[in-house]
Amino acid sequence: MTRKLHLLPVEAYTSRDWFDREMRDIFSKTWRYAGFMEDVSEPGQYITVQAGLNNIFIVMGRDRRLRAFHNICRHRGTQLIRAVGKTQKALTCPYHDWTYDLEGNLISIPEEEEEFGKVDKSCLGLKPARVDIWKSMIFVHPDPDAPSIAEWFGPVEPHIGPHVPEELVEYEDLNTSYEIKANWKIVVENYIDVYHLSHLHSSTLQMYDHKAGKFHWEGPHYMFWEPPVDAFLKDQESKLIAPRVIPKDMNGAWVPMLFPGIGLAGSEEGWNIFIIEPLGPELTRVSNRGRVSNSSGWEFTKQSMKSSMFWTKFGLSGKYEAHDAMSEDDPMVAGDFTGEDIYACEQQQKSLKSPYFETGPAAVGESQVVEHQRVILEWLGDDE
Amino acid sequence: MSQRNFHPLTILGTREEIGGMAKTVMFDVPDALRETFAWRAGQHLSFRFLINGEEQRRSYSISSSPFTGDPLRITVKRVKGGVVSNHINDTGQKGDVIDVMPPFGSFCLDPGENTRRTHYFFGAGSGITPLYAMLSSVMAAEPNSFAHLAYGNNNEKSVLLLDELNTVWETNPERMSIHHVFSKPGFWSSADYWRKGIVDKPVIEALIAENPPYAQDAQYYVCGPGGMNAAVKAVLMSLDVPAGRIHMESYGGVGEVDTSVEGIAATASVTLGGKQHVVDIAKGQTVLEAAKVAGLKPPFSCQSGVCGACRATLADGTVHMLARMALEDRDISKGAILTCQSLATSEKLTVKYD
Ligand code: FES
Ligand code: FES
Ligand SMILES: [Fe+2]
Repeated sequence: MTRKLHLLPVEAYTSRDWFDREMRDIFSKTWRYAGFMEDVSEPGQYITVQAGLNNIFIVMGRDRRLRAFHNICRHRGTQLIRAVGKTQKALTCPYHDWTYDLEGNLISIPEEEEEFGKVDKSCLGLKPARVDIWKSMIFVHPDPDAPSIAEWFGPVEPHIGPHVPEELVEYEDLNTSYEIKANWKIVVENYIDVYHLSHLHSSTLQMYDHKAGKFHWEGPHYMFWEPPVDAFLKDQESKLIAPRVIPKDMNGAWVPMLFPGIGLAGSEEGWNIFIIEPLGPELTRVSNRGRVSNSSGWEFTKQSMKSSMFWTKFGLSGKYEAHDAMSEDDPMVAGDFTGEDIYACEQQQKSLKSPYFETGPAAVGESQVVEHQRVILEWLGDDE
Repeated sequence: MSQRNFHPLTILGTREEIGGMAKTVMFDVPDALRETFAWRAGQHLSFRFLINGEEQRRSYSISSSPFTGDPLRITVKRVKGGVVSNHINDTGQKGDVIDVMPPFGSFCLDPGENTRRTHYFFGAGSGITPLYAMLSSVMAAEPNSFAHLAYGNNNEKSVLLLDELNTVWETNPERMSIHHVFSKPGFWSSADYWRKGIVDKPVIEALIAENPPYAQDAQYYVCGPGGMNAAVKAVLMSLDVPAGRIHMESYGGVGEVDTSVEGIAATASVTLGGKQHVVDIAKGQTVLEAAKVAGLKPPFSCQSGVCGACRATLADGTVHMLARMALEDRDISKGAILTCQSLATSEKLTVKYD
């Protein structure tokens, strides 16, 4: 009998073969997060992003429109540009100096006459990809004719909260990125597991009422919302650590996981993203960024002073007591829910290798985990 | 052929604009003609009038959106000495019956429910009429898209459809913006305008810089008098806008006329209304003129290459077109010609009116 984690075989979380199929059939065929809109906001500025098997760069023209191209020189395929930067009007390949304009047209070939005779440059333009901005985030799709981003994310819009990220400003301290030694699906499953909230995070996320949480699916996208607990709701204005960004009648934590691996987390005080990027079968990168109210520094100071009283008493703390700490920075003691999640993911991944590994039944609050596995099977084209 | 025939339509009502200098004329389209007169935002209508015993044909852009429940209508500004524009402004009234050819033209914006675009509109004077139809269609039927308009006029007294423009803007403040550019703003004017001058390079650059595209599929539409279209297009292209994203309609002006080729005498097989005719074309004569001389009744309106009413398909042979404003490169590559502008350059032609 194959050992399974609910619907998926253990290999789905450990093997190179599964990883390659997911790269090809999921991450190369969906809209991929590339950055915040501020990252490319001047003509000539560009960034690159890995979308499954595709390396794509995004550049802004003088018309302030973004264009996206596959980052492959049409001569011999050399990567055209690196990470981030700024150009004037043209992109030159480092290998033999073929040069393209910002529309992707090949405009010059060194020593064209001697080396090639006549080249029909019009057939050697860069291959375009699709790019758009949604909720202040830049997204790319490797296929220039892919359905619009409105079609892909449109159905989730009514369910992901009233935040208007375009009107919020980035808060640099929230820009973090770290690697987790676990398969990307383990990280997604952790993000959408409602059951673990009141257990693993019993002392870090208790300001929300997990039992009253509501979740459902919109196609491959997972929707989740939970209301604040009474203790946090009462006189909430004095408890928010940053100025409020949503109306009171829409209070709560809005935490959807869009497909594939695009987590959002909006609350009364801000709006964050949690981007899951598979690096290998057992290695995943998570990138976080966040936005807060566009208020003055003084507003923030006042708000955080006002709220500090409440939070001291409300008591965020670690899952384990300090005397049980295994090291100075034991995540299970630190009182930070992210550390708790990373710990749980990595421990779970380790156990997958054990010949004795076997899963127990899925709780009601874990039904979402199973559903995500079903979505994966569907995209890989082998639903049972 | 009912698509290129004239049909009598009754005027449903009229409305005076800008102090009597222009008039909006609404038409009653009977149920039987609904399909024939279904229109796309940006298209125009051709009209036939008998004024002082002479037949006059003119085309006017439709100034309403097919998605807002508004009636089919045009908005006609008086042209100094203009026979037809003044006739419409002086006499057009409810109950009149006018000969109208069904909607036509490829300067169009077709909204899509899931389409997500940023539309930039550049207009001046009466050029607003198709742009207003497009803009209000985007707001009514393309909910994921954005629109920005730069609209040039002398001053606030010459702004056509101002109330309607303000209404769509007030209804959709998050998705659109309107920027008035006045060349001669009155001193006493309290009306808000964005910039003084005309819709030129600084204005276009400022519009885009202040309203960068949010949806990245950006499209640009230009409709103004005289040389405005070509000038705006040149500016857009200097800002890296690819030509395929720029859409234009010449209003009033004829655009470029290419008289470098003289044409030759030829014989044409002309299919019209399903019947085939043999038509002799004299040197220097257009295909349309030749067909009329031969006693056929081919469709036409402006006879200056602007409206597209005389369009046909060239199945065989070659022609030279003097002007071709009404056609996009795409149409031409599929064999479309404007018969009113076509001189034969091969001795045999096969022309089909569709
Ligand atoms: S590979 Fe790019 S120029 Fe040769
Ligand atoms: S009649 Fe108008 S283009 Fe020929
Ligand atoms: Fe968690």
